[in-house]
Formats: sequence, structure tokens, C-alpha cells
Amino acid sequence: MDTMSLLMQGFSVALTPESIMFAVIGAILGTLIGALPGLGPANGVAILIPLAFSLGLSPTSSLILLTSVYAGAMYGGRISSILLNIPGDEPAMMTCLDGYPMALKGKAAEALAISAIASFIGSFIATIGLVILAPILAKFALRFGPSEYFALFALAFATLGGITGKNQFKTLMAAAIGLMIATVGIDISTGVQRYTFNTLELFEGVDFIIAIVGLFAISELLFFLERHAGDGLKQVAINKLKLSPKDIVKVLPASFRGAVLGFIAGVLPGAGASLGSFISYTLEKRTSDKGEFGKGDPRGVAAPEAGNNGAASGALVPMLTLGVPGSGTTAVLLAMLISLNISPGPMLFQQNADLVWGVIAAMFVGNLVLLLLNIPMVGIFVKLLSIPPKYLMPIVTLIASVGIYSVSHSALDLYFMVGFGVAGYIFRKVDIPLVPIILGMLLGPEMEKSLRHALVLSDGDWGVLLNSGLSIGLWVVAILGLILPIIVGPIVRAKMARSKDAAKEA
Amino acid sequence: MRINDRVFGMLMLILAVAYGWQATQFPIPFGGQESVGPETFPIMLSIVLGISSIYLIVRPDPDEKWSPMAMLIELSIVVLALLAFAWAIEPIGFMPAAALIVSFLSWRMGASVTKSLITGVTSSVIIFFLFNNVLELALPLGLLEF
Repeated sequence: MDTMSLLMQGFSVALTPESIMFAVIGAILGTLIGALPGLGPANGVAILIPLAFSLGLSPTSSLILLTSVYAGAMYGGRISSILLNIPGDEPAMMTCLDGYPMALKGKAAEALAISAIASFIGSFIATIGLVILAPILAKFALRFGPSEYFALFALAFATLGGITGKNQFKTLMAAAIGLMIATVGIDISTGVQRYTFNTLELFEGVDFIIAIVGLFAISELLFFLERHAGDGLKQVAINKLKLSPKDIVKVLPASFRGAVLGFIAGVLPGAGASLGSFISYTLEKRTSDKGEFGKGDPRGVAAPEAGNNGAASGALVPMLTLGVPGSGTTAVLLAMLISLNISPGPMLFQQNADLVWGVIAAMFVGNLVLLLLNIPMVGIFVKLLSIPPKYLMPIVTLIASVGIYSVSHSALDLYFMVGFGVAGYIFRKVDIPLVPIILGMLLGPEMEKSLRHALVLSDGDWGVLLNSGLSIGLWVVAILGLILPIIVGPIVRAKMARSKDAAKEA
Repeated sequence: MRINDRVFGMLMLILAVAYGWQATQFPIPFGGQESVGPETFPIMLSIVLGISSIYLIVRPDPDEKWSPMAMLIELSIVVLALLAFAWAIEPIGFMPAAALIVSFLSWRMGASVTKSLITGVTSSVIIFFLFNNVLELALPLGLLEF
């Protein structure tokens, strides 16, 4: 019952007028960010971090703001899937399969409403899962010593490519590049300058928020220019909503199944939201398809949407309890925590109980806000979606730059941002994933610290890294996570592609 | 063609070697040698990067197509414009600099000249007042200061 009272305490934080205001603002911004194609959740949250930072918001407020943006982005992703047949972000891909056909049949409003309800159920159930699982995992993680942590970090990188990852060596390479950038600056424990080339600006290292905004937002701008995608895409017109309670009841079982599966996929390392929505969709298809799936079955909209939102909340479990994020967006949220001087991990639940439970309670509030917002106001979001990128992307770039500039008032930071943008463009051209780079920059200092602690305790004996059953287990999972995708990956990818093609033909 | 990965792998291999070599040159920290010095972790990283670079050189993926030269030049101009914007914020002020860059970007993305100018001017004025007056983050006025 301990958890219950902590959660109630959390609600007392989350239900203050200030917190509710930030949850509402975050929900609206997040839905917009998720709805705009090309401006994924990781990107959007990254742009908002420097803003939250320079506004001097309290840690609780900034986290509430950004987690609602995160939740909102997951809601928003479905709008462009349904109306444009283009997923706003990768996990929303499966929603296209039945959502777009529904829209073509003149049921766009119903598809949007059903997906909003499914999203709500997905997030709600997964947040309950988070409440139950996170404290248990946090308690368990207290047993981790430095060598276990070192293994855990390795595991995070090894599984980041996910089961669908294409080239594991490129993930590894990206992680190494990120970790290398993290070593720039004065070494905290010995005071030795590393790779600073005696430049004062590099003494404190490279700010990862600048890197995130550059890598994501600026490289996206360059890609938009290159593809001449400035005009945007034609969307299906939206009709008047006619949804009976019967229709809602019909999709409830699919939503519940999707939510649970999504949550599990979100918690597991290397699975993530894409796999969550994929599993939910295929399983729903197997259990209840009577030839309607892929042609606009409401249950085919509900299942992946619930799965993707469930996974999004599930992904917060490893991020909050272990300090090891499982996806790009949670990595960006981790960046937020670190820049607020809060170190996530098992101690977070003891030292900052107020904050954690406040944020968890805010997720419940934010979800309710999102549901209320998304059903009546969907028309407004749809209107904004029709602003062509040629006007929107330059403004987004401007807002991103202002955010970076207002943190330190130095043009140098902006030069760095543009530099990272060019690097991001090149990385994407050679298919080097960006998320491991970010994660490397974030986790680098902690990873090196745990290696150092482990080896100091053992007096330089490298065997210490494998001294407990737990760390051996973590290494085994890490190695499996690296090797399995090479074997299983092509099969899963082929399956995902096939179900997408099948839907297109139908 | 599988040139991209080979060239990139080569560059990263050079980086790995240079980075690893640099690590061996770190001065010995005050207080003497420890089991884990400032160089240990970087050397491990350079090995990981080195191995994955060699893999990329030996088994490259098929290339993604690069744009024609004209587009690459255009992208470089956009990058230079962004750098110029960053430089210009302080001397000429936020509003003029932002108006110029937003107009330029939306013109390059295919908007007509008038529409991009309108976008640039309105967005920069709105953002300036939003930041300066509502959020109270001072942005430089530059030329408009008198």
C-alpha cells in the first residue's frame, strides 16, 4: 500500500493549477509535434528542452511539461497516419494499415476518435503498469554495483538497434562516436584535459542538447530541402463524427490487448514502440480478423494505437528506474533529467520521490487532458497539419535556434548546432543511426565512472566485470541483443513489409 | 555502388586511430598512475570504433544516392546562411536576422518571394515579442536599438 500513498502524494503535486497548466500546454504542443510529418517526438522534445531550461522552470514543471509533450506526440502521430497515410513517427506506421482505408471510406472522424480512445486506454493501462513495476525494478536495481552498471550500459547500446535493426555494426559505430564526444573536456576524476585542443569552450565538454537539436532538427531541414518536400501532402477530408457507444465497446477488447502487449514491448530492452504496435496489430488480426483487416476495420486502428501508446509509457520504466532509456525520445527525456542535475536510476525513487510520483500522476492527468482535447478539437489539429512545411520548417528552425541561443547567449553554440546538423545529414546518408550517438553522449560519463569504480575496487583486475551472476547475465543479454538481430532481423522485417504490402493491395 | 560505406569507414578508422593515439599521449594525472587512467576508456572506444570501421570497409551496405551537385551546393549555401544568421543575431539584432533567414529558408523550400517575406517578417516579430515580453528572455535588438 506504500505505492498507493506515494501515488496520492504525486497527485497532490500534479493537481496544482501550475502543473495542470503545464500538462495542458504540453499536451497541445505534443499533439502538434506528433502530427506534423518529419517532426517526430524526439525532435520536438529536443527543441523544447532548451526553452524549458532557459525559462527557469522547476524540475517538476519541466518534466511534467515534457512528459505530456511525449504523450501528446504519441497521440498526434496517428493523425497524419489516418489522414495522409504517412506515419508522423515510426511507431504510428501500423495505424496507417486500417486507419487510412477507414478515412477513404469517409470515416476519418470515427477513425480519429477510436484511435484517441485506444491511445488513452493504452497509456492508462501502461501507466498503471509503470506504477506497479517501477518501484519493484528500482528496488531490485539497488543491488547493482559498478560492474553491473557497466554491463547494463553495454546492454543498452547493444539492444538499441532493436530486433529490427539493419546493421549492428553501424549501431555500434554510432554508440562509439557518441561516447567519444562525451570524453571531450576535462576528465572529472583526474582533472586531465582530453581532446580539448586547449580551447576554453571545450573544457566543459560538448553540450548534448545542442547536439540533439542539431542532429535532429537541422538535418531534418536539410532533408526537406533536398527532397523538395516543401508543399506537403494531400489529406483526406474529415467528416462529421458519428460514433455510437456500441462502436466504442466493440474496440475495447482490442485496445486492452494492445495496451498490455505494448507495455511489455516498451519495458523490454530493444523492443520499443514500433515492435509494440506491430505485435498488437498482428495478434489482433490473428484473433479477430474476418477478412476486414487492412480494409478499414476499427479494431485494426485501435490495437496498434493502444500498443504504441502502451509502449511509450512502458519505455519510461527502464529510463526512470535504471537510467537507461530504450528509445530515442526517452533518451531525450533523460537528457532533460541530466541537465536538471537529477540522476535517474534506483536512487531517484528514494531521493526525489516527490518528483517521480508527481510526474507519474501527471501522466494520468495528461492522458485525460489528451483524450478530452483530442476528440472535440481534432479539427483544429487537422487544420494546422495542412500548413505546408515550406512555411513551418523555417519557423521551427528559428524556434530551435532561439532556444539554443537563449541558454548561453553565445553564437558559438549556434555554430555547433549547425555543425551537428551537417554531421547528422551525413550520418543519415550513410545510414548511421542518430539515437545511439545521443545516448553515447548522455551515458558516456556515467559509463566511464562505473568502469573506473569497478576497477578501483578490484585493484585493477578486469575479471571484476564478470564477478557476479547478475553481470554475467546482463552481458549475455547484451551479446544476444547484438547477435540476434543479425539472424532474426531480416525475418521480422520481411514480415512487417509483407503485412504493409498486403494492406496496400487490398 | 558501395562507395559511401567504404569511404566513411576509412574516415572513421582514421578517427579511431588518431583518437586512440591521442589517448596514449595524455599526461599522467596528478597523484600518479591508477588502474584506470584518463586514457583507459578512450582506448576501449577507439578499439570498438576501429573494429566497426573495418567491418564497414570489408562489408559495405549498398549506397543511398547522393543528390546532384547543384543540390549539394544549394545545401551548402543554406548551411552558410544558417551560420551567417548565428553570427548576425548580435550585431544586427534578432528581428532582422531572423526575418532574413526564415524568408530565405521558406523561399528555398519553394514558397513565392512575397509569401516567404511575409512568413519571415511576421514570425520573427511574433517570436521576438513572445520571448522578450511574455517569456522575458531578452533577445538582442541590434540595429533597431535607439
